[in-house]
Amino acid sequence: MIELIGHVLVLIGLVVSAVLVFWFKDLLAAALAAGLFSFLISLEFYILQAPDVAISQAAIGAGLTTAIFIIGIRATGRYEEGGS
Amino acid sequence: MSKIVRFCADMLYPAIVIFGLYVIMHGHITPGGGFQGGAVVATAAALIIVAYSYEEIQGMLSKFLLQIQESAGLVMFAGVALIAIGLGTTFFYNYLANSGLLFGMSVPFGPNPGELNTGGFLPLMNIAVGIEVWGGLAIVILYLLSGIPKEGT
Amino acid sequence: MRRELSVLIMIILAIFLFIMAAGFTFGSPLETDMDDYFIMNGQEQIATNNIVTTIVFDYRGFDTLGESTVLFTAVIGVALMFRMIVRGDSDENE
Repeated sequence: MIELIGHVLVLIGLVVSAVLVFWFKDLLAAALAAGLFSFLISLEFYILQAPDVAISQAAIGAGLTTAIFIIGIRATGRYEEGGS
Repeated sequence: MSKIVRFCADMLYPAIVIFGLYVIMHGHITPGGGFQGGAVVATAAALIIVAYSYEEIQGMLSKFLLQIQESAGLVMFAGVALIAIGLGTTFFYNYLANSGLLFGMSVPFGPNPGELNTGGFLPLMNIAVGIEVWGGLAIVILYLLSGIPKEGT
Repeated sequence: MRRELSVLIMIILAIFLFIMAAGFTFGSPLETDMDDYFIMNGQEQIATNNIVTTIVFDYRGFDTLGESTVLFTAVIGVALMFRMIVRGDSDENE
């Protein structure tokens, strides 16, 4: 039962963080929300008993991808311009 | 980045490196392995790279050393596998398992506490792949940082 | 109109994937011969507790060799591209 509650909480967090990525106009906050998304996916992998994949996802998805996004934001601009 | 970010990066860097080396070294007992441990250590390098600018990073991480490290990992991986041909067996034959030499202890069937001195050449392979992934992922991020304009933050 | 259409396609895809995933039971694959072989013989043949590492580095060693080569080639590609960009900034005559 406690496992099911954990599943549901992690999945709700996944949807919320995925919506936050599109909702933020500050691109640094959006990159951090994408990192939170990757971290929650790695938590879901750990609940589904795949600790190998969870370590890979936490290191590459939450660490290196966020670092690449932050370097890209540093090279361009921090705030989203134009659009609708 | 600000002074708080740099201080936290300095404090966290040794802890992340030690944890990554632990994941690499215990890859044949606990979950994880060469690729995962190397990615964890590369995350520490990425933390330092994000916190500082390219001019300040020159004394901490060297492109030349990381390139040597990555090439050495791949050469060690293929070399350990090629030694098996020299011993008269097939490519990728595990010649160290159950031999009593380095990493040569046997394990009983079923659940057991785990012993570091087991696994044949699997720990050597884990170290090789870990070194390669560490150098490779760190140098990708270092090259990305070197490509951005000079003024920084 | 296009916005409603894309939302409709997304909902239909979500329902389709959910129905497909609900048909399987978690943790009970159909074919288990290979898994049973690895689990029964891995600890004895390779002397390792972690069966995943056993498969990745010993039974399927060629696969890992190819993966390492792919990573090495990707890093070489990134290095060549950024070396060209950095050198193009300094002297544009070449």
